[in-house]
Order: sequence, then structure tokens, then C-alpha cells
Amino acid sequence: MKKKLRINPILKKELMVGSRSMKMSFAILGIDAFLTLIVILVMASANMMTGFSGYDYSSLVWLFPILGCTECGLLSLIVPIITSGSISGERERQTLDIMLTTPVSPFSIALGKLGSAMVVVMMYMISSIPILAIAFVLGGLNWGALLGLIGILLYLGIYVGSVGVFCSSFVKKSIVATILTIAIGVGILVITGVVFYAWIGISNYYSMKNGGSFSPGAAPLVMMFNPYSPLFDFILRTMSGTSLYEIIETAGNQSVVLGWIYKGWIPISVVLNLLIALGFLNLAARNICVTRNRKK
Amino acid sequence: MLEIQNLTKRYGKFLALNDLNLHIDKGEIFGFVGPNGAGKTTTMRIVCGLLKASSGTVLIDGVNALLRPDDIKRKVGYVPDFFGVYDNLKVMEYMEFYGSMYGMEREEVCEISEGLLELVNLSDKREAFVDTLSRGMKQRLCVARALIHNPDLLVLDEPNSGLDPRARFEMKEVLKNLGTMGKTIIISSHILPELSEMCTSIGIMEHGQLIISGKVEEIMQKSAGTQPIRIKATVSGQGEEDGREYIATVLKEQPSVSKVSYTEDEILVSFTGSEQEAAKLLKTLVERDIAVSNFYREKEDLESLFLEITGGNQE
Repeated sequence: MKKKLRINPILKKELMVGSRSMKMSFAILGIDAFLTLIVILVMASANMMTGFSGYDYSSLVWLFPILGCTECGLLSLIVPIITSGSISGERERQTLDIMLTTPVSPFSIALGKLGSAMVVVMMYMISSIPILAIAFVLGGLNWGALLGLIGILLYLGIYVGSVGVFCSSFVKKSIVATILTIAIGVGILVITGVVFYAWIGISNYYSMKNGGSFSPGAAPLVMMFNPYSPLFDFILRTMSGTSLYEIIETAGNQSVVLGWIYKGWIPISVVLNLLIALGFLNLAARNICVTRNRKK
Repeated sequence: MLEIQNLTKRYGKFLALNDLNLHIDKGEIFGFVGPNGAGKTTTMRIVCGLLKASSGTVLIDGVNALLRPDDIKRKVGYVPDFFGVYDNLKVMEYMEFYGSMYGMEREEVCEISEGLLELVNLSDKREAFVDTLSRGMKQRLCVARALIHNPDLLVLDEPNSGLDPRARFEMKEVLKNLGTMGKTIIISSHILPELSEMCTSIGIMEHGQLIISGKVEEIMQKSAGTQPIRIKATVSGQGEEDGREYIATVLKEQPSVSKVSYTEDEILVSFTGSEQEAAKLLKTLVERDIAVSNFYREKEDLESLFLEITGGNQE
């Protein structure tokens, strides 16, 4: 007999409850208003720079990195807020206990919570497409770049959401989980960024001093663990035609194998970080089970 | 139906359950009684797979709940002592949500839910939002939710706590109905007279151990003639502490007194003597210059038995 495809019951419930709340509508309105304000400011500043010599529409291409990074920043703030109360909220209501007496596994609970956050992210992405499209239509970028940006932002949503669900699974207060999620994101961003640029800097210094004999080795691979690096690479490729691969090659990469890896930066980093996100979800599921050992 | 053998649970150094043994037959309504921290909730949570035991065995229909917790999830329905509400969810949607967690189809859940809502007298509330229901209604809905997958064993942790008398009565009727349907029910409650009316057997717990358990009638027979005496008394010229000590000394000298304990304003005396011996005890107290303002022998009921066993430390 053909098995019927089932939607995760927690996801279904979250969507039903969320759709009845005005919170999501107001949040999307606020985000879109903020993005629109940025577009207006960029267009106004472009107008001021060109003065009376006519409007240079090609300058609007800069809307792409600005809007891309703004959306990424907003997403990194919104997703932790959505996911931080996902498990801790259930625990506060004591509905988590009831859930755990059903056959639904802790991993499914964590996955359902992430799924509902991703639906919100998708709605937020879809609603902002017309604003993003200004950069593409007026700035002269192709639609592939727009879809690529949306894809990378969705992947980032999954990553940040998984960290948020994980934090919510072992922290009692939602606000602490939000702060912790943001702190983990910023921590990874800063640590990997510092390691990457320190090695590139050292490499360039020695190359100049000794005539290009120093290679950064595998150190730049650390940057692949930075969930924001695919977005950075994507913006670099779209805007300037260069990439993280070329930055590393210029610094003096001498390994052929590493060269291949650096060339495929975006897919490799995305897959790597999605696996890490899966690890966070697994840890969240384990934490949900650990509650069974706590005294009520 | 349920067999608990040598169940022990430790939280660090604290021993919450100490070698607990319990047997509940199919179709029984078993009442769990005990003071705060006795281990009732811990036992119930272990039975439901929400807590890991330190050692021991829990068999539900022959399945080891500690080794195969996933296998017993379809056999057990759990009602916690606190009702969690989801905002913006209607009664029927609430039932559908939990039905879907057991892998049930929407049509099947709707059909079963209709019957269950009727059973708990909430048929007219099927389209109402859950957070608009009264506490009593929410608690009955929680019972209906716990029955959605037709479990053999229903575990209710103080379902009547915080309910007004009418809501308690309605809940009692629901549980009685479930009893007639052949469901095995474990229920813990503060309200002992209700338990004695509703339950077919009871177990009294203290300090993680089951002190006494069995059919209600058997236990009442065992306790016949051990009704405690409640005394309010003072000793003139002595402080409260010294007075209590003096009264306790006098009481313990009497052969029919087995235990003396205190509630907030009363002395609770475990007394095994006859009515004449009780009268003699009162006479002795008065003769020893103790001013007795109240002297009352408890009736033979579950509450007095509980007070007798736990020394007045009622939950």
C-alpha cells in the first residue's frame, strides 16, 4: 500500500497557530519597510553623487551587496528570536512532557520547530523579492544572482535556526537562548574571520619579504566553517568577478587539492555548515531527552 | 496490567524512590496518596517514560517500560498536574494535533474526538479556543487528549488540583465513566474522600516507599480501630514548646497510644483503644492539669488512615 506523505505534526500546529497571529504580518511589514528605506537612501545618495550630470543607474548595482548583507543581518537577528522560545516555551507550558509521551521523536520535535522558523524565513524572503529586484532590474544584474542570494539566505536561516533550537533546548529562558544564539553566530564569524585574514596577512607579508615563498597552507579552510562565508564569496563573485579562491591563490596557495576545494567554496561550505546544523539539531534532540533526568 | 518491581530513583544523594513494589490489575482505578515529596509524581513520570529510573523494573502489559520506552507510548495516556495552553488553537484542533502525533489520520481523529469530547462534556466547545475554557474544562479536555490513542493505562497526576467543587465533581464523573469502560487508571490527588469514592484500590506513599496498598475495603478493614484522636490542649504556666513536650510525655505513657505528632494547631494521637479507653485518656489529661479545649476521634475513612500513617503531614 502506498504510504501517505505526512507533514511533521509540530510544524503543522506551529503554522496553524502562527497564521492566526498578527505578529508575523507586522514583522514582515517592518522588515520590508526597513529594506525600502535602505533602497531610498542608496538611490538618494547615488543621485547626490551624480549631481546634474544625469542619473547613473548602474550605481544601483551596489544595492545588491547592501541589501544582501542587510537581509543577512536581519535574518541573523529574527531567526534566533523565533527559535529561542521553541523548546524552552514548550517546557515552560509543560507541553513538552506531553509531547514526549507520544511516539514523536525528540529529533522530530526539533525538526518541526526549525521547519516552522524556516516557513517564516521563506515568507520574509518572498515578501522582500520585489525590493531586492530593484537592484537587479535597475542595477543590471541577472535573475540567477537573485535566486542565488535567496538560496544562500535560506541556508543561513537553516543554520541559525538550528543553533537557535539547540540553545532553546538547554536554556530555560527564551531571552538567554536568543542572546546565546546571536553570540554563537558572532563568535564563529569573528574567530574564523580573524584566523582567515591573519593567515592571509602573514602570507602576504612573507611573500613580499621573501619573494613569494610562503603559503598559507590549509589554514584558510577554517573560513569554510564560517556560515556567512558563502554569502561573502557569492557577493565577491557577483560584484567584482573575484572570489575567496582568488584571494587565497594570490596569497600563495601551492596545493593543487586545496585549490580545488577553494574553487568550490560555496557548495562545500554550504554542505559543511548544513552538516553542522544537523549536528546542532541532534544535540537539541539529545537535550530534550536529557530533561527526562531532571527532577521536576 | 502494571507491575513495578524494586523501583529506585536517586537525584544525586536524594532518594526519591526506595525499592518500590506495586501491582495494579487491568481495569483498576488506583489512587496514589502521599505527602509532598513522597515520590508519587516521580513514580508516575517513570511509568510514562518521562524519567529514567536508577534501578528496578516497570512492566506494562508485560513490556518493560524502562528498556523499551517507545513501545509503551501507545499504551499509556498521561495527564500532568499543569495544563499547558497553546494560544490560537481550537478544541478540535488541539485534539487533531495530538492525534497526528500518534500518526492518526484526520478523519479518524475527528471521529474519535467527537466521542471523547462527549465523554468529558465538551461537545459544545469543539469550536472554542482552548485558552478561553475554564480550568475545569481544560483539565477534562486534557483527559480527552490523553485518550485520543485509546491507551490501556491512563496516568493522572493530581487532575483535581485547583479545581472548584463543581469542576471536581464533573472530573470525578468522567473518571468513574472511564472506570466502567475498563480503563486502568492511576490517579494521585489531594482530595482523599473523592479518591476513596472513586478508586478500587489505593497506595499510600511516604519517603519514596509504599507504606500500604491494596483494595480500599481491605485497607479500611486493616485500619479499623486505629482512628487517630485530634486534641487541642495547653498547659497553664508553661510555654508552647514546654507544654507540648509535657503533653506528649503524658500521652506516650498511655498503652493505647502508639504515636504522637503535631499539625499546625492540633496534636494528632495514633490511638488503638476502645471508646472507653479514649474517655479514660481524656480524664487522665485533665487530671494532669492539661487544659483540653478540643478532643475528637476521627471517623474511619481514608483521610484519617492517611493522617494516621503519615503523622498528619497531609499534602
